[in-house]
Amino acid sequence: MENDELIESFFKDMRQADQNLDIPAFPVSKTRKTNWFIPVGVAASMLLVGFLFFEKEPEVKAPAEVIIITLEQGPNHEQQFKIEESTYLETWESSTSSLLTEF
Amino acid sequence: MNRKSLNQLLHSHHREAFIWSRQCCGFDSDLAKDVLQLTYLKILEGKATLNEASKAKTWLFSIIRYTAIDELRKAGKMITWDENHELVDVPEEVDGTDYDAIIKLLPAMQQQVILMVFYHQMTIEQSAEVLKIQLGTARTHYARGKKKLKELILKSQTEANHGKRRTDRKLL
Repeated sequence: MENDELIESFFKDMRQADQNLDIPAFPVSKTRKTNWFIPVGVAASMLLVGFLFFEKEPEVKAPAEVIIITLEQGPNHEQQFKIEESTYLETWESSTSSLLTEF
Repeated sequence: MNRKSLNQLLHSHHREAFIWSRQCCGFDSDLAKDVLQLTYLKILEGKATLNEASKAKTWLFSIIRYTAIDELRKAGKMITWDENHELVDVPEEVDGTDYDAIIKLLPAMQQQVILMVFYHQMTIEQSAEVLKIQLGTARTHYARGKKKLKELILKSQTEANHGKRRTDRKLL
């Protein structure tokens, strides 16, 4: 115990002497603001490239109306085309159906 | 632990870390500054990670010690870390006020255990963790170091008393 007192007193004096030590300042870690811009810039560029390359082509929509072209025989036995516009088909006849009935 | 918490932890231990670094560098303040900078870099770059927050001081002291050993090797200042190394040249005169010089008269392992226990208020178990040695070995260094240091302190005190008497006689 006596030994410890002697040693403790020695270290107490040593700590007191160390109060005069020149302690270096704690290094302040710099937060680099430019670091933010790099990933943001890369992400923006990639988005732009993606937008340009993967932009969907506009879908071609079918006209809402249906054009019906029929070939009819006139009163003087002449052939004439009749063009009608409608929103739906009422009847549909195959273009080759006449071949079946003629023969 | 995030960077902010690490910064706070290092900041709170900064003074003690520098003093320990200096003690590990043979009381060379300039080298101690470099060692401390390197230690902080290792920690902030994630090369050394803290697993248990309760062991922060032990962890920090351990990194400082190993960094100091590396830097001392690079500087060509070899320190004998042999656990059984006992050879110390004790000078005829010991200045009792030169605390660093008295500590340097102890073998390296004894110096560090004694400094951690008495100067830095750590336990022998903690000092064993820092030095990565068995608890029994740390206890041996502690006991031997204490005995040797006591002899040195007494020697310095005796010399101081003799010197005082001599000057008293001269004055009479």
